[in-house]
Amino acid sequence: MARHRRATALDEDKPELSISPLIDICFLLLIYFLVTTTIKQKERDNSMALPSAAPSEAQPDIQPFFIKVSNDGHIYANVGAAQELLDTEAQGTERILPVLDQRLEIYAAAAKAGNNKPLVQIYVEGEAEQQVVSDVLNHLAKHDISTVTFTDLVAQDEQLK
Amino acid sequence: MASNKLRATQQEQEDDTQVDMSPMIDMVFLLLIFFIVNATLIIVEMDKRVQVPIARYSEKQNDKMGRIVVNVYSDEFAGEGRFRMADGKEVFADDEDLVDFIKKEKENWDLKGQKSRLHLRADGKVHFTYVRRVIRAAAAAGVNEVIFVSLWSRSS
Repeated sequence: MARHRRATALDEDKPELSISPLIDICFLLLIYFLVTTTIKQKERDNSMALPSAAPSEAQPDIQPFFIKVSNDGHIYANVGAAQELLDTEAQGTERILPVLDQRLEIYAAAAKAGNNKPLVQIYVEGEAEQQVVSDVLNHLAKHDISTVTFTDLVAQDEQLK
Repeated sequence: MASNKLRATQQEQEDDTQVDMSPMIDMVFLLLIFFIVNATLIIVEMDKRVQVPIARYSEKQNDKMGRIVVNVYSDEFAGEGRFRMADGKEVFADDEDLVDFIKKEKENWDLKGQKSRLHLRADGKVHFTYVRRVIRAAAAAGVNEVIFVSLWSRSS
C-alpha cells in the first residue's frame, strides 16, 4: 500500500507544460496577420536588348519595323511619306493597341519565315509618357521581339530638370 | 528479490518506447542556421512612389542577379530628384553621376561573374525624354540589356 502511494506522488510531481494557451495565441496572431496583410503585387520584367549600346558592323538581313510614338501618345508606323497612323490610344485594362498588334504579328511571322530575327526601331518623342512606350514594348514582348533600337533623334542638350 | 507486482511495473515502463525529440530539434536548428548564414539574400527594392506602367505580356522576375536599379520619378516626386537609386533616397546629381554609378555596379557584378542589366523603374507618367537619358547612360557604361519594370495589372 505504502509503495503504491509513493509512486502516485512521484507522478504528480512531474511538471507538465500546458500547450493549449500557446496554440491559442499562435492562432490569434496568425489570424491577425492574415487579416492585416495586404498582398503587394509583384513587379514584372519586360527585358529588351538594345543593340545601340553594342553596335555591330554587319548589316541586318531584314528591314527593321519602324514605330513612332508622338507626344500625344499616338502610334505611327514608318517614317516620311510612308508614315501612317496605327493607334491613337491603348484600349481596355489590358492596354491593347489593335492595329499595331496586327502589324507586328505579320512582321514577326515574315521574319520567322525568312529565318531572321525581327528588328524594331522605335522613335519616341520627348514628351510621350512612359506608359505608352511600355504599351508598345508590351506588344513587342507578345510577339517575342526582344531586339529594339531607340533611335536617338533628340538633341543632346537635354539637361537635368 | 522484487515482488511479481514490481517486476511487472518495471517491465511496463521499459516497453513504453519514447522517441527523444531533442537531438532532432538540435539538428533542425543547426541546419536552419547553416542555410540562413550561407544564403545570399537579394532583394530588389521597390519604391512605392514610382507607379510603374502596366504590361500584360511582361514576365515574372526570375533572376534577381545582375540588376542595376534606377528609379525615374514623375513630376509629382521629381522635386527632390528625378533619378534615384533603389532606396529612393540617393539622388543622381547629373548624367555623369548616373554613368559612374552604372559603371561601378557593372564592375561589381562582373567580379561575381554575372551579366549586368539595367533594372529601369520608370513611372508610367514620366516623359520618355528622362527614360531615354537613363538608357543612354547605361549604354555609355556598357550595359545594353534594359529591363522595363511593369505590373500585370493595377488592381491591387
